[in-house]
Amino acid sequence: MKIELTVNGEQREADVWEGESLLFALREKLGLPGSKNACEQGECGSCSVLLDGTLVCACLVLAAQADGHDVVTVEGLGATGEPHPVQEAFVEAGAVQCGFCTPGLVVATVDLLAHSPQPSEDEIREALSGNLCRCTGYAKIFDAVRLAAQ
Amino acid sequence: MGALGNGTRGLAGGTDLVPLLRDGLVAADRLVDLRRVIPSGIDGTAIGAGTTLAELEADPQIPDALREACRLAASPQLRNMGTIGGNLLQATRCWYWRLNYPCRLHGGDVCHAREGQHREHAIFANDYCASAHPSDVAAALLALDATVETTRAAGPLAGLYRLPDDHDRNLVDLGADELITRIHYERPEQSVYLKAMDRKRWAFALVGVAAARYDDGVRLGLAGVAPIPWRLASLDDLEQATPLPGTAYKLELARALGRRAIAAVGG
Ligand SMILES: Cc1cc2nc3c(=O)[nH]c(=O)nc-3n(C[C@H](O)[C@H](O)[C@H](O)COP(=O)(O)OP(=O)(O)OC[C@H]3O[C@@H](n4cnc5c(N)ncnc54)[C@H](O)[C@@H]3O)c2cc1C
Ligand code: SF4
Ligand code: FES
Ligand code: FES
Repeated sequence: MKIELTVNGEQREADVWEGESLLFALREKLGLPGSKNACEQGECGSCSVLLDGTLVCACLVLAAQADGHDVVTVEGLGATGEPHPVQEAFVEAGAVQCGFCTPGLVVATVDLLAHSPQPSEDEIREALSGNLCRCTGYAKIFDAVRLAAQ
Repeated sequence: MGALGNGTRGLAGGTDLVPLLRDGLVAADRLVDLRRVIPSGIDGTAIGAGTTLAELEADPQIPDALREACRLAASPQLRNMGTIGGNLLQATRCWYWRLNYPCRLHGGDVCHAREGQHREHAIFANDYCASAHPSDVAAALLALDATVETTRAAGPLAGLYRLPDDHDRNLVDLGADELITRIHYERPEQSVYLKAMDRKRWAFALVGVAAARYDDGVRLGLAGVAPIPWRLASLDDLEQATPLPGTAYKLELARALGRRAIAAVGG
């Protein structure tokens, strides 16, 4: 089936099968590999995107469900050579090691700061609790969020 | 509304169904987006089945037990997507079942968990299938004396669930084309939900205990202890548990959480 959706502000079309995830469509059909596929079970958050402004796991949304809706991926946050302030903060704080979790964390952080520009420690932990990182131990990630909030 | 044809599955938030479809554990010829047909939103003590866990968690009108059950379930991303109706109907997390072992719930004649790995499994009603129901929300709603309204009937939440047997392996008593439309709860004087997990956030309950105090006493609902959400008349009923070697620790957890929950609601 054919779906039409807005991705990062652009009107896009894709041919998808009924059971196909939005994550697969973004990565394989729309040329946007920024959202990562790690668990595809909703457990790691590496596929986080904003669907109509709500933070979701793209691996659990069917592409068909996104028909007619608005999607923002990590690619839509900054421009080449002009990273989003959250992306800059992640680099500056040294919050990136292998980088697999980073796109999801950046999207989740952008969502957090949009709702709560000065988040408490608890809010930061809660907001990022759906994003797993195997490398950093999270301390530098939390540093990055605090830095971005300044 | 209603009448989903043969081979059609309803999809709400998709957080449970999408991976099951992909892994071939559930088959569907056609999917229907339920969010277009079922009500959502909160109106007094009535909750539309399409209301997300995130909406419930954020609404101060909702009793503490249900808000906490939502807040402690899954991750923010999942709570943004997952609906209360879908949560009540989520499939078991038993890994044998998820890995498609030909176990009793899949129509076979053994429970692999009973003989094998069953640390996360049940302490009640576990002789046929030892799975432990994962819904924090259902535990809270049992304590809150909830009623479920469907496209066909309305009745107590406990009646939505059944224990599997040789004739019927389903854990839910719902027609193929029947949809949950609303959930109604009784407003308690005080309520609480306590959840024991392997890590501090974002894990399924090893044991979850909801307690709600009413005029006539405290009602208790438990997650993670039986194949279906489990109601206890009192903590004394824990004496009737039949833990497996690997789940005996859950009885201790249930006792401790139960005492704390009852104390917390002033019961
Ligand atoms: C990684 C992970 C962790 C989780 N952790 C927890 C946890 O700690 N605690 C907890 O309680 N839950 C947990 N969950 C479960 C999660 O909360 C549920 O998956 C979610 O609430 C299901 O809602 P949904 O709208 O996405 O359901 P869907 O996936 O859309 O549907 C689930 C099932 O219900 C049916 N259905 C949905 N709505 C209706 C309706 N109105 N009428 C009839 N049938 C309907 C669908 O056909 C399907 O069979 C977790 C899930 C995941 C993936
Ligand atoms: S506990 Fe239930 S779902 Fe798990 S293996 Fe046994 S019969 Fe199957
Ligand atoms: S790939 Fe979506 S949550 Fe892990
Ligand atoms: S940096 Fe490697 S998973 Fe987070």
